[in-house]
Amino acid sequence: MKINFDKANITMSISIAIVCVILVSVSLVQFKTVEQVNETDIETMRDEELREQISLWKSKWEEANEKLEETNSKINEYNEKLESNEEASELLDEELRKSQLILGTTDVVGDGVVITLTDTEESPIEAADLVDLINELRFAGAEAISINGVRIVNMTDIVDIDSYIIIKPSQRLVSPYVVKAIGNQTYLVSTLCLKNSGFVDKYNNSGKSVKLDKQRNIKIPKYSGTMNIKYMKEVTDK
Amino acid sequence: MIIIAIIVGCLIGALIGIYAPMVSYTYSGYLAIAIIASLDSVFGGIVATLKKNFNLTIFVTGFFGNAILAILLTILGQKLNVDIYLAAIVVFVGRMFTNLAIIRRYYIDIVVKKIGNKKKKTVK
Repeated sequence: MKINFDKANITMSISIAIVCVILVSVSLVQFKTVEQVNETDIETMRDEELREQISLWKSKWEEANEKLEETNSKINEYNEKLESNEEASELLDEELRKSQLILGTTDVVGDGVVITLTDTEESPIEAADLVDLINELRFAGAEAISINGVRIVNMTDIVDIDSYIIIKPSQRLVSPYVVKAIGNQTYLVSTLCLKNSGFVDKYNNSGKSVKLDKQRNIKIPKYSGTMNIKYMKEVTDK
Repeated sequence: MIIIAIIVGCLIGALIGIYAPMVSYTYSGYLAIAIIASLDSVFGGIVATLKKNFNLTIFVTGFFGNAILAILLTILGQKLNVDIYLAAIVVFVGRMFTNLAIIRRYYIDIVVKKIGNKKKKTVK
């Protein structure tokens, strides 16, 4: 093989050498890169898988979040309902208490008056007198009344039997009759103490012993009997 | 002379390639296209040499130009979300195969001629 050292030949050789250098080096770099990537192929695949999984989990998370929000709002609703129920039950409770107070099935305490009626020789106290007194008290706005510790309710009847006064159903009363009433003290006293026509004056004038006292914190016990309703029914509008 | 240059160039290239740092995976795709384009140019150059119309300027410009053009087209394809590098590979590899076929035929022709000459000699 003959070697020519002319200029064109040298330039050609050099340029081809440069081309070779570039081509081979770049190829080797690429080989190395690809090899390395192949080694970590699983990881790169995992990368994609992970990305997919991330998006999957993201959507799942969003779903779960939505559900959570729904559930939370439901819980809130239920809580509100519960609160309103509580309010309703509180209202009912209050109403019940009120009705019980009115009905007389609870011990009550409050300011009011105490009227003591005592039998005298010339004129003993009769049931009618007590009924009159109770009517007067009710008129004056008494909220709770008792005679000798027996609560007077709307079913109470006071009658004379022989020489005793009986409060129906079965309490026998003897003198002195202590009538306690809770209500507005001023109204009660002014109603009972009307000059001449008032209860106290009227009875005292007719020779009966009636004593009126104002008292604070009068205790009136509850109605001790049972209240049975046998015949009446509530009317239901339809 | 040229063969020595090729061998020396390959050796230096191998050394550089072994000690060169890695290319990040994102760019290795572009590099691969560039290598294919360069290889196409090299085979084209070999064919030109065999046909005795090798031109150094054309070879060198083809070598670098094809590589750079291929890389640019690939980048453009990525920007457009079209796989242009597939077209580049098809074109370059197809041309490589035609060039290889030409080279093969050239050497087969030579071999066949030699055998024919031998036969003629023995016949005479």
